[in-house]
Amino acid sequence: MKRKSILISTLFCAPAISTNRAPAEETATDIGTLDQETAAKVFPAKPPYSPYAGRNFPTRPFFGDTHTHTSFSLDAGAFGCRLGPKDAYRFAKGEEIMASSGQRVRLSRPLDFQVVSDHSDGFGFFPQLMSADPALLATPQGRKWYDLIQSGKGAQAAIDIVTSFGKGQLPKGWPLPGTPAYRSAWRDTIKAADEANEPGRFTAFIGYEWTSNAGGNNLHRNVVFRDNGAKASLIEPYTTQPPLGSPNPRDLWKWMVMCEEKTGAQILAISHNGNLSNGRMFPIVESFTNKKIDREYAESRMRWEPLYEATQIKGDGETHPFLSPNDEFANFERWDKGNLDLTVVKKPEMLEFEYVRSAYKNGLKMEAELGVNPYKFGMVGSTDAHTGLAGVEEDNFMGKTSSSEPSAERFSHPFVKTSLATIMGWEQTASGYAAVWAQENTRESIFDAMKRRETYATTGPRMAVRFFGGFDFDAVDANNRMPAKIGYAKGVPMGGDLTDAPKGKAPTFLVAALKDPIGANLDRYQIVKGWLDAKGQTQEKVYDVVVSGDRKPDAKGKIPDVGNTVDIANASWTNTIGAPELIAVWKDPDFDPSLRSFYYGRVIEIPTPRWTAYDAKYFGVTMPKEVPMTTTERAYTSPIWYTPAGK
Amino acid sequence: MNPMQKVLREPLLHFLLLGTAIFGGYNLLSRNSRDEPGKIIISEGQIAAMAEGFTRTWRRPPTREEIDGLINDGVQEEVYCREAMALGLDKDDTIIRRRLRQKLDFVTADVAALAEPTDDDLNAYLKTHADTFRVQRQFTFSQVYLNPERHGENLVKDTAELLARLRQAGDKANLSELGDSFLLEHSFQLLPSSEIVKQFGEKFAAKLSELSPGQWEGPIESGYGVHLVRISGRTEGRLPALAEVRDAVRRDWANTRRLESNEKFFAELLKRYVVIIERKKRTDETRVAVAK
Repeated sequence: MKRKSILISTLFCAPAISTNRAPAEETATDIGTLDQETAAKVFPAKPPYSPYAGRNFPTRPFFGDTHTHTSFSLDAGAFGCRLGPKDAYRFAKGEEIMASSGQRVRLSRPLDFQVVSDHSDGFGFFPQLMSADPALLATPQGRKWYDLIQSGKGAQAAIDIVTSFGKGQLPKGWPLPGTPAYRSAWRDTIKAADEANEPGRFTAFIGYEWTSNAGGNNLHRNVVFRDNGAKASLIEPYTTQPPLGSPNPRDLWKWMVMCEEKTGAQILAISHNGNLSNGRMFPIVESFTNKKIDREYAESRMRWEPLYEATQIKGDGETHPFLSPNDEFANFERWDKGNLDLTVVKKPEMLEFEYVRSAYKNGLKMEAELGVNPYKFGMVGSTDAHTGLAGVEEDNFMGKTSSSEPSAERFSHPFVKTSLATIMGWEQTASGYAAVWAQENTRESIFDAMKRRETYATTGPRMAVRFFGGFDFDAVDANNRMPAKIGYAKGVPMGGDLTDAPKGKAPTFLVAALKDPIGANLDRYQIVKGWLDAKGQTQEKVYDVVVSGDRKPDAKGKIPDVGNTVDIANASWTNTIGAPELIAVWKDPDFDPSLRSFYYGRVIEIPTPRWTAYDAKYFGVTMPKEVPMTTTERAYTSPIWYTPAGK
Repeated sequence: MNPMQKVLREPLLHFLLLGTAIFGGYNLLSRNSRDEPGKIIISEGQIAAMAEGFTRTWRRPPTREEIDGLINDGVQEEVYCREAMALGLDKDDTIIRRRLRQKLDFVTADVAALAEPTDDDLNAYLKTHADTFRVQRQFTFSQVYLNPERHGENLVKDTAELLARLRQAGDKANLSELGDSFLLEHSFQLLPSSEIVKQFGEKFAAKLSELSPGQWEGPIESGYGVHLVRISGRTEGRLPALAEVRDAVRRDWANTRRLESNEKFFAELLKRYVVIIERKKRTDETRVAVAK
């Protein structure tokens, strides 16, 4: 029976376990009766001789990108992207293709899955503009963009298009759902995904991006379909421009309800780039109404948004040094100058509502008030590439837009520049990918794993990361030859729930990480804990759970640095430091069973050359001092939440 | 397929025929056909088209005044176009040139999409692109991992000892107790070689295919460390029958065909020209980032 409950816990979202209660329910098994004591030893019966029999849990992570744009996205097209959805899938499957900039490009190895997620607003706008649609060219804006692009000033046009879009100033003739141009672009997108989808080998999801950008503040979401084109083609994507669409996420969720009812398809949404939302991604007070988040908002958001894209080319969103001053790894690839179009500069008080860790913390507080936690999401990384090329390896970085595909100048071009601030080309982050613990590489299996949040984010490397929580993990479990088996047997995986701590017991975690087979060694595996204290204040702490080598903490509790083997001039490093695999069991030493808390894993790689170092070497260019040349890649797991009994 | 059929299925031929038809028809029907220098005729058909375009944009039919406006504008456009062309203003204009090139691109892309492949075409394609469609070699194997960080200097010795124990135990070896803990699986059923590369890296996959089945072998290296491996079965790669991979072959065939016919079309056109490039000899051999 125990094995059945394991199976169930992997099948359903947010499994709650309570090991003190379990034995009482599970005394009778199909092979005899167990007493309390034996059952408490977790394996209820002698397992089958073959240790591999009877398993139904995921055995390897699948890596993919949930966020690739192609020429079907108006801004991508304007920046010179000529590759469509079909090309994007070919590249993700490991084929060598010709990039828009005329270079031959290829991934180090294929990805396992991908969502081509073009902007729903102006879907097919670019093909329409390029074919000089008379209605569009009859407007001053349409004419201006056309002329700019035709005279080789695509970047200027792109910025103007994005800015006009942010202000809601769009020309007549703009493609709207229901028009032929729009429908044909959506049909092409669906067709490309259905053709590229190869169950067992490569999963191509149908999807699009709902690009809410009110006032230049990023509230973007990617919508992903579990089903095939037969269902997806019964509907057209939701847009953000009234009257057909809306920039308010509540309206997107209403559309999602309607979509599931109308088509019978299952869908989910993944938001991203809170760092460019100027305090609006994880609000306590809604920006659209200035009212406090209510229960309906919290429930809808949790129903539709099980995941958040925590890291991508436009910066990393785990946390910020301002929010986590005691976290030595917090200052990583920050984009904190303003909103998406840099029309409003960032103020420190906005940060709390932009980053994952503070959202998790505020979520606990809101759950105490509302009864529902609106920010109980898991993490993935993705590229947000606007090139059709989901390539974010440091030595193979394809850039954000086609104008930032590899070239000697790309680091020195301003990425966004306004009178208020500038983001330089070198500030692009070669990140990230989504890792999903699914049973098999199919749309259904991967989608279901996303729904139950059994996912983690990586900044590019394909490391395997396990994170299990329960009340009975023992130090010896770390020596087990099959950590996953014991992990699922005694606990819940990442994305799960713990509740009702047995008397005198604290949560224990079985953590394990295996390096990317062609990547760098690992420095350490940390657990980040956040909680709501007895006074109702949120707190956080980072624990070094397992580190490579024999490093011991100093008097202040700090672990010495792992070292650095990076040779910047040659853009190389060696795996002479760090460890290929880290595994340990950790028990929360500061646990209070009456307080809400969450725990998530963070795995740090040893320092390696940043993409800028590879560029500098290949193109023989010298970059200014402020350009970072090394990076520490990492992975973030979805959390496991602890909720006190009866709360 | 006889040579005549082959010729008839040639996209370039289709294009040329189509082109003749389109442009011939265009000349017959076009407003310019009846136009002599100094004479402009706006036909009933053209007026209807103007009204239709207006209706599409404004979602209502034009009024009488608006129709007059459109006609006057049409006349002015015609006059201006003729005068501008007479002055040679259409020459060296980037926008016009790109637009013309794009129009021709569109037409030829459609032409390539016209032809449906026969089974013979697809079988031939499958044979010449065997590597793309080959059903991969699959391995059924067990592996035991040794973490170099844990064994340090003793790695070689420990590996040899473990190998001896494994050889003694053969297929009875209890994998849940031997070697170091490892996040990936210890036994794999019919794992395709591309999956082996994904999970263990290129180096391991290459070594694995050199090992003979039946006995514990190794050590072989991966990015993680050292492995001892026993292959219990393997199926060789093979070329699938067309029926198994028809859709994939057809997609690739169409894609290749499109690229080829574009190239061929350009090459054919290029034959009509003598191209002279008057380039100064390059003194500075700096590296150029973008290939083209």
